[in-house]
Amino acid sequence: MSFRSLFAGPLIAAAAVAIAATAIVFGSAEAQDTRKLLESRESLYNNIYVYGEGPYVSMTFGFNRTIYTESIFNTLDDRDLPVEYTRYMTASLIYAKNVTSILEIGFGGGRTSFYLHRFLPQVPVTSVELDPVVVELSHKYFGVKDEPNFQVVNRDGRIFLNESKDRYDIILIDAYRGPFVPFHLLTKEFYSIVKDHLAEGGVVAQNVEPSTMLFDSAVKTIHAVFPQLDFYVAGGNVVTIAYDGAPKSADDLDRAARERDSAYSLRYSLHDMLAQRRQVQIDGGKVIDPKAKVLTDDFAPVEALKAIEAHNRKWQ
Amino acid sequence: MAVTSANRALTVLIFFNAFVVGGVLMGFEMLGSRYLFPYFGGGIGTWASLISTVLCALAIGYFAGGAVVDRYHSSRIIATAILVAASYLALVPAAADPVMAKILASMGDGPAAILLASAALLLVPLSLLGTFSPVSVGLLTRSAEESGGVAGLVYGISTVGNVVGTLLTTFMLIPTIGSRSITYLYAVVLALCAGLLFLPLGKKPS
Repeated sequence: MSFRSLFAGPLIAAAAVAIAATAIVFGSAEAQDTRKLLESRESLYNNIYVYGEGPYVSMTFGFNRTIYTESIFNTLDDRDLPVEYTRYMTASLIYAKNVTSILEIGFGGGRTSFYLHRFLPQVPVTSVELDPVVVELSHKYFGVKDEPNFQVVNRDGRIFLNESKDRYDIILIDAYRGPFVPFHLLTKEFYSIVKDHLAEGGVVAQNVEPSTMLFDSAVKTIHAVFPQLDFYVAGGNVVTIAYDGAPKSADDLDRAARERDSAYSLRYSLHDMLAQRRQVQIDGGKVIDPKAKVLTDDFAPVEALKAIEAHNRKWQ
Repeated sequence: MAVTSANRALTVLIFFNAFVVGGVLMGFEMLGSRYLFPYFGGGIGTWASLISTVLCALAIGYFAGGAVVDRYHSSRIIATAILVAASYLALVPAAADPVMAKILASMGDGPAAILLASAALLLVPLSLLGTFSPVSVGLLTRSAEESGGVAGLVYGISTVGNVVGTLLTTFMLIPTIGSRSITYLYAVVLALCAGLLFLPLGKKPS
């Protein structure tokens, strides 16, 4: 008996399978693109593409623009928010008891935070972005400027919060898009840290993409830390608004929206956004899958959950 | 080559262990990312630290294994190494968070901190597991002309184990049972491997 004859057969079979798998992977076709590529950059974290199409500039993190588009900017109007869900991120203004400081985790092209800065120039806005090249391109193509009360910090969102002792009235979270889902920004431990950085009466707004089971787990995870959770159906996305304490009634929200609309003269009326507000029985099983689990630092299979499509989500 | 049933059993046992130990080794590297990301972020710097720490551990293991195999010509030496690695893994779930938090608090999140955290997590157990391949080659080789064949088989099987461990951990275990449970599972699997290697069939007729 020789070692070789004992193992040669299975090894050759394994090699054949590996070669076949490689051929399938490399055989897949690349999508076509008609937009004008303005710049492409390879950063430590992403492959970033900036495209121009008419007055609009967009940033994507890969070739597949349908899933990986991060930000769109109207070069003719820096108060425009072309991406629908970004408008609904500002619905957080309705809920916050005070509006004296705003934190954004996940800056991208910087549209949401710069819009807030434009309309609330007296309120300090801090954005945290992991990728320095994204920050650079946001200044070059997306109308972001270094101005008083507007700050971009180049840091991982969780590390920033770990190190910061500041509290904020509004925290906006939009750090997972396209193919990149950092699990450590989606766990119960993470939201507990976020909660520790909220001022009294503060709120957390988060953009969540609802087509996969990751949505169900994300919602349950946020709800595990924040008792109150409202949903805004915003184009293809859902914006969740989470807060502590007693629930706010429709009348409270109606009044607060009108007050803040007149105080800030916002382009996108907060009061109009209330039409898209949904309240959901998280444990009722109609919108949120009852089998979905709370994500923790120990158990957060974000990639696997993102691969499971969730069909027929029924918003009342 | 003429083989007795005792050393044929040892051969099969060592190949089996090469596969399983290889699987746990890379599986634990994947798990390393789950322990490190919450403290040091999920960027390419964290991956570079993990990968370089694993390769460092393997280099240490290969040197150490090669150095001891001629002095202690017994499967007990690798059984002991695997058992100590298993014990280390069993401590990781409880110890990881305080250690990571301490490193982050005292050193920040720069390359030195991430490397130290990776080393604290991986270096000891994976160096011990790294001794497996050279010691196995030493135990299975009886003549100079078969040394190449033996080395090729041990490293080949161990590397196939690496592949299986990486994929199984990433696509099956992390989505179902959670990082801490997987770590305990690995500790148990390694302890069983060590137990098998402590069986008396490892004695070579001298």
